[in-house]
Amino acid sequence: MSNPQIELHITGHGVITIELDAEKAPKSAANFLSYVQSGHYDNTVFHRVIKNFMIQGGGFEPGMKQKPTQAPITNEADNGLKNHVYTLAMARTSDPHSATAQFFINTVDNDFLDFKSPTAQGWGYAVFGKVVKGQEVVDAIKAVRTTRKGFHDDVPQDDVVIEKAVVVGA
Amino acid sequence: MTALPAFGALQAPAHWRTVDFISDLHLRPEEPQTFDAWAHYLGATPADAVFILGDLFEVWVGDDAAAPGSFEARCGQVLADCRADLLFMHGNRDFLVGPDFLARHGVRELADPTVLIAAGQRLLLTHGDLLCTDDVDYQRFRAQVRAAGWQRNFLAHPLAERQAIARQMRTQSEAHHASQAVYADVDEPLARQWLAGANATTMIHGHTHRPADHTLGADARGRALTRVVLSDWHIDAHTRRAQVLRLTVGDALVRLDPL
Repeated sequence: MSNPQIELHITGHGVITIELDAEKAPKSAANFLSYVQSGHYDNTVFHRVIKNFMIQGGGFEPGMKQKPTQAPITNEADNGLKNHVYTLAMARTSDPHSATAQFFINTVDNDFLDFKSPTAQGWGYAVFGKVVKGQEVVDAIKAVRTTRKGFHDDVPQDDVVIEKAVVVGA
Repeated sequence: MTALPAFGALQAPAHWRTVDFISDLHLRPEEPQTFDAWAHYLGATPADAVFILGDLFEVWVGDDAAAPGSFEARCGQVLADCRADLLFMHGNRDFLVGPDFLARHGVRELADPTVLIAAGQRLLLTHGDLLCTDDVDYQRFRAQVRAAGWQRNFLAHPLAERQAIARQMRTQSEAHHASQAVYADVDEPLARQWLAGANATTMIHGHTHRPADHTLGADARGRALTRVVLSDWHIDAHTRRAQVLRLTVGDALVRLDPL
């Protein structure tokens, strides 16, 4: 079975096609797929954009209203996959196993996010897929003007909205 | 930021044989175990000097918050009772700790960054937030709140108002952590530039809560460059995390568990 592919349709920007690595990150891939299929990612924004770092989204509606999520998943960062440019990884709190729906796309190689050790500070961020088409859309999003909104830094001034997320060939 | 900002320089007195570095304790009344561990450590350390490289306090709204009986006053007492020389650098949380509070408790203020000349080395000390240049919005915010005019204006509000603002920011900050923001690391090319500008080969900082020793290659003279990151402290029912970096004259830097 080939790896699932998902299209993120970004209003005014284009389509980012992601391929999930179901073999190396089975839990993260299944979790992401579940959120796609339930429509969770539809009408969410990339709410945290730092140009030479990453773009993060999947958690908030426009207006920074947080969407409810399912239970957190185990961190799979020890799967050998690295936080290279255009890879997809799960966001989380400082609790290593707190990832739910939010994800980010690395816009540079971010070695310091890789798994180092199974400790609170060493777990790193689980890579579970990569952008296979639409890298130029990622590049356009990473360069949008950002601002501080409330206590959130690096929020795009103009919302970058995932209009819909769909499984390719579904 | 593309160059080393104006930095302080501190020549260690000859009697300093052991120097400790800590940061990111984020002391707050809601975390009594962290406070207790810190108080115990400062009371017991054999170091001649302790450098506190920022975010000692989770929040600081003004020196008048350290009224008798307050948590801030208890922290002040721990500082005053410590027999070691104490040196404090502001962090991104406790940037409003004032010269009055520091002087009253026998603590010397450090510029960020500061070059420490000790044990035959030049060590570049910084909290770390200045080097996270990827976060443009944060750097803009930092410049705003570090400006004398902004601080004077903020401190002119009644204490109760400032405490209410801090509580509100605390609630928002907690929600922010729930929002799972992924944070950038320091800009390593910039760190190398800073080391070159300070003619130092070792940088020590906190802020990122990612303790590690990083080699940054070699400088123009072929000397190995290192970036040493301090651990944060956090102790509660589920977590025990605290660390001290110790410099002993004639020896390498070591990380110690003060618990």
